[in-house]
Amino acid sequence: MQTTGLHKLIELINLTESTYILRIEKKDMQFEAGQHILLGKADDNDQREYSIYSGTNDEYLEVLIKEVVDGSVSIHLKNLNPGDLLKVEGPLGFFGLSKDKIESGKFLFIASGTGIAPFHSMVKSNPNLNYKILHGIRTCNEDYGKEDYNSDRYIRCTSRENGCDFEGRVTDYIRQNDFDNDTICYFCGNFKMIKEAMDLLENKGIPGSQLHAEVYF
Amino acid sequence: MNISDGERVQKVLEDMGYLHTDNPESANLIGVIACSVRQKGIDKVYNMVNIWNKWKNKRNLITFVSGCVLPSDKEKFLKLFDMVFTMSQLPELPEMINHYGIVTPAGLMGNENMQIEQEFTDNPMQLGGFRLNETQISSSLPLAEKKPEDIKEFWNIEPKYGSNIEAYIPIQNGCDKFCTFCAVPYTRGREVSRPSEEIMNEVRTLVEKGTKSITILGQNVNSYGYDKKGSEITFTQLLEKIGEYGNQSNKEFWVYFTSPHPRDMSDDVIETVAKYKCLAKQIHLPVQSGDDKLLIKMNRNHSMLKYREIVSTIRRLIPEATLFTDIIVGFTGETEKEFENTMKIMEEFKYNMAYIAQYSPRPGATSSRWDDDVPKDIKKERFHRLTKELTKYSQMHNNDVIGKTLRVLVRGKDRKEGYLSALTEGRIVTRFASKDITLIGDFVDIKITSAASLSVEGVLLKN
Repeated sequence: MQTTGLHKLIELINLTESTYILRIEKKDMQFEAGQHILLGKADDNDQREYSIYSGTNDEYLEVLIKEVVDGSVSIHLKNLNPGDLLKVEGPLGFFGLSKDKIESGKFLFIASGTGIAPFHSMVKSNPNLNYKILHGIRTCNEDYGKEDYNSDRYIRCTSRENGCDFEGRVTDYIRQNDFDNDTICYFCGNFKMIKEAMDLLENKGIPGSQLHAEVYF
Repeated sequence: MNISDGERVQKVLEDMGYLHTDNPESANLIGVIACSVRQKGIDKVYNMVNIWNKWKNKRNLITFVSGCVLPSDKEKFLKLFDMVFTMSQLPELPEMINHYGIVTPAGLMGNENMQIEQEFTDNPMQLGGFRLNETQISSSLPLAEKKPEDIKEFWNIEPKYGSNIEAYIPIQNGCDKFCTFCAVPYTRGREVSRPSEEIMNEVRTLVEKGTKSITILGQNVNSYGYDKKGSEITFTQLLEKIGEYGNQSNKEFWVYFTSPHPRDMSDDVIETVAKYKCLAKQIHLPVQSGDDKLLIKMNRNHSMLKYREIVSTIRRLIPEATLFTDIIVGFTGETEKEFENTMKIMEEFKYNMAYIAQYSPRPGATSSRWDDDVPKDIKKERFHRLTKELTKYSQMHNNDVIGKTLRVLVRGKDRKEGYLSALTEGRIVTRFASKDITLIGDFVDIKITSAASLSVEGVLLKN
């Protein structure tokens, strides 16, 4: 059920210089992993959509935010203190796992940057999920939430630093590897990556009906 | 939606004793029901209010704006208009006006009879009034305290219908879809469904009054009821109720709906349209783009595969139905290949009509934060190519009805002297030679004699 209301900030967790997690009161909000909320300062008209980063069973709501230079929301949110109020509306959106596939499906999650957020929620909400994550990041320290993934299921594809799991973009990884045709693929991140990755996987024989995407902006 | 909003605003003002005028220069109250779908419409609002504000030095004039207003525009409008309010606040309008007071130099000289000016544009906008300074607005109008469900007070206002022949009934307010090109989710808030009993009462009242064409409205009509989580009927059930009423009423009328979202379009809806005579055999199914990847970028939440399945069901269950759509060309980043995929669906679906728009970023919409990187001349060229393709198939459809007898609803005089203008059930524009204006508002049968790409012509048959 959608709700609109004011939620207290519990904690602001800085991950990198420009990326942070907002942990906020959940109140009675129930959501499906993959959904997003509209979020803004209580005294501000501007709100933005942020995918929910926390799991469905967590007692709080979390969102993963990348500060946007010249943005009108993310910069202000970063200056909040615990106890400050946030305007929260949601849950919203239709990006999520098919319920009938959660037990038996083989999932490939492909994300760029903070596009990892909905997949973090899906993994935390479904401990027995059969998944693999390809995370496109620039440097190794952008591996947000790495500790929450099984290490052999999480592959960091770094474009500007060596020494992680795979040197190159997620699309390079896809080119160099094979995937079972029954893999259900989810994409979240910038459109260019999504478009290219989808084309590559379709060319590798994965049907279009098994490709699901949400553009991150 | 804006026309429907405006009909309710007009009713409130007329109940207060205001009179409508078509002449802006004689109006004492001018307002706008804004539409934020395209920037062009909002730009026009800014242009108009600057002119009206100059008139205030010469006469007592109040201005207001309501409808779809983005938070960023609202801030600016508060400085330009005397009043900015949401549709859910419409029931409070008389109270707002009573708080008005003397505000302009001309107002100090005395009041004339108040009159209303109504404005319509290609992005329909309408009506308005009153002068409050910002302090008064913030103290007397709890704008931020209104909740989405307060829209029900607005729905309870009986509208002043603009036509005795055709009427619009809102069944839902807001949008949950968040298409990246659209600002509506940020201006109208989340989807709230109007109680079905109220909708049915309005349908019955209109039909009893003789209204012949009713369009039920919502941003995504086929997600009607979802927000009520089982405590309200579904869109299909609403259509069934209307259909059953149509069967029992012994009245002839057509009911349309716009717009359904492909994501929520079920076979049930199409089956119901096929089943009931009063449910018009015309489906407006926005596609926006024929390219799967671009649909993702638009956050449309459906694939072309899903869209194809819907069209296939429509063709199978209602072969006589006309198919309309909405398309955006030149959306940010649209490549030639992606546009070609849209060209291909014109051939595939052979639409009777497509409302084609050249993309323009709307502040507040997600895509406004992306580069508007398709040059204007390319957008224009794609628009013309697609329009040419559309007319190829609409002409084909129209040629197919030459020699056939069609039932049409007469809407008024045609631009061509000595002719009346009408619409078929499938909403194809029609004209026929007749000077008998008593036919306006009636259903008549005409035999189609010729066809153009977007209209047909026929001769009146004796009823």
